[in-house]
Amino acid sequence: MPKVSYIEASGVQHIVDVGEQLSLMEGAVLNDVEGIVGLCGGICSCATCHCYIDDEWAAKLPTPSEGELTMLERAYDRRPNSRLGCQIAVTEMLDGLVVRLPAHQSND
Amino acid sequence: MVHFDPYDHATHDDPYPIYRELRDKAPVYYSETYKLWVLSRYDDCSRAVRDFKSFCNKYGVAIDEAKEQMPTVLTVDPPDHTRLRHLIAGMFTPDAVKPLEDSVRVMARELLAPHLESGRMDVIGDFAARLPMAIICRLLGFQREDEDKLRHWTDLVVQRDEAATEMPQHAITATLALYEYFEKDMAERARHPVKDDLVAHLMASEKEGKLSHAEVLGYLYILSIAGNETTTKLIGNMTYQLNKNRSELDLLLKDRSLLPSAVEETMRYDGPTQLMGRSLARDVEFHGQTLKAGDRAILLFMSANRDDRHYADPDRYDIRRNPRDHLGFGGGLHACLGAALARLEAKVAMEEILDAMPDFAVDEGGLSRMHSPSVRGYTHVPVQFTPSARAAHPSEGGRLA
Repeated sequence: MPKVSYIEASGVQHIVDVGEQLSLMEGAVLNDVEGIVGLCGGICSCATCHCYIDDEWAAKLPTPSEGELTMLERAYDRRPNSRLGCQIAVTEMLDGLVVRLPAHQSND
Repeated sequence: MVHFDPYDHATHDDPYPIYRELRDKAPVYYSETYKLWVLSRYDDCSRAVRDFKSFCNKYGVAIDEAKEQMPTVLTVDPPDHTRLRHLIAGMFTPDAVKPLEDSVRVMARELLAPHLESGRMDVIGDFAARLPMAIICRLLGFQREDEDKLRHWTDLVVQRDEAATEMPQHAITATLALYEYFEKDMAERARHPVKDDLVAHLMASEKEGKLSHAEVLGYLYILSIAGNETTTKLIGNMTYQLNKNRSELDLLLKDRSLLPSAVEETMRYDGPTQLMGRSLARDVEFHGQTLKAGDRAILLFMSANRDDRHYADPDRYDIRRNPRDHLGFGGGLHACLGAALARLEAKVAMEEILDAMPDFAVDEGGLSRMHSPSVRGYTHVPVQFTPSARAAHPSEGGRLA
């Protein structure tokens, strides 16, 4: 199972196994990673699974859809490497992925 | 003492004063009558929907006892829930439902057209009750001529009398009729080329071993019911609120770009789904009270949405508020799967109503309400408006041309 490292804004790191095809949002929520909310349940409609993807990994991800970019406009502290976790499916290729989390999600 | 009864008809007329009392005086309320906890504050409901390991769904989400139910995304927990939801979640993002916008608009116009010359219609019976089922049938690939039959069954499934606290016989009969319809539809498909719709997708997934046949039936059942009545009630509630809050209606008539925000505000202020049930998988503490493993609890989403600890001036209907963090669609892993579609349908439906009858006025004497412990909204919203001749040419002169 791919391992994903979620790093909270506080610096707390969670290294968890995420089942293949689960989203980064689900990987966080199922493993009690506090910094991801996932209010809309993964239909790209709330921007509360906002995360930052390290550069070395960003290129390995599918580019964000128009809908994801629209939702990201609502995200707190958006940066160039911002993504919505619910729109990224975890695969073996992403084993070792590092995901950083913002200090707040937009509904905190 | 605060007394809250989700079955009480008088409460359905205006639950908000009782919701406020619950939040202020009894945020962890226990109903001796129904043997369940009631959480009513925003922070508490929000915490509960996120804490799916404590607040589980596997014993159902309705207050009354469900019968003849197949497993659905609403009644399973992870990991089964994740597996089921994943199968079709990608088909319900805003991007994925956007291509349906033209169909929704065409159907909305078809439904409005016959009434425009008369200057009166029932927003629920003539319009909002029909539109969502038409879209669901399209998504599921069901025949249009079956819409009325399917809607009749799904209505019976949710209909409750005041005293009923368990699934009544008419609802069980309708549930079985729906399963039979789904089975026939799937059997029929075996004789024809593969279609590209949700049913075909679920059948292919069953073949690949990703879900059981009972889960396919459960999925079709929940998709037929969940998006039907709630979307109908949302359009009705929005029509009612805009009529009641004329200055907000004027704002919307001047600036249609406020429509999505107005839909969000309606979901916050007067969303149809009042509550969802959960069962406690382990002990949790709220405000010094322990909810024990095995207890039942309901999360009062519509009370949470009026919590002044979370929203400024919560009892004001403000279409510019655009509150995307409301719990009108629930929240967390079990949040409404069809929310983006509901938003789209409500937006287009209201847009077409505003275009066709900008001076509509609700005939309040003709309003009637449905009674359910969990869904709040009207069964009739009669409106009057200046008649127009557009009825003769429903397909002309619109943005679709």
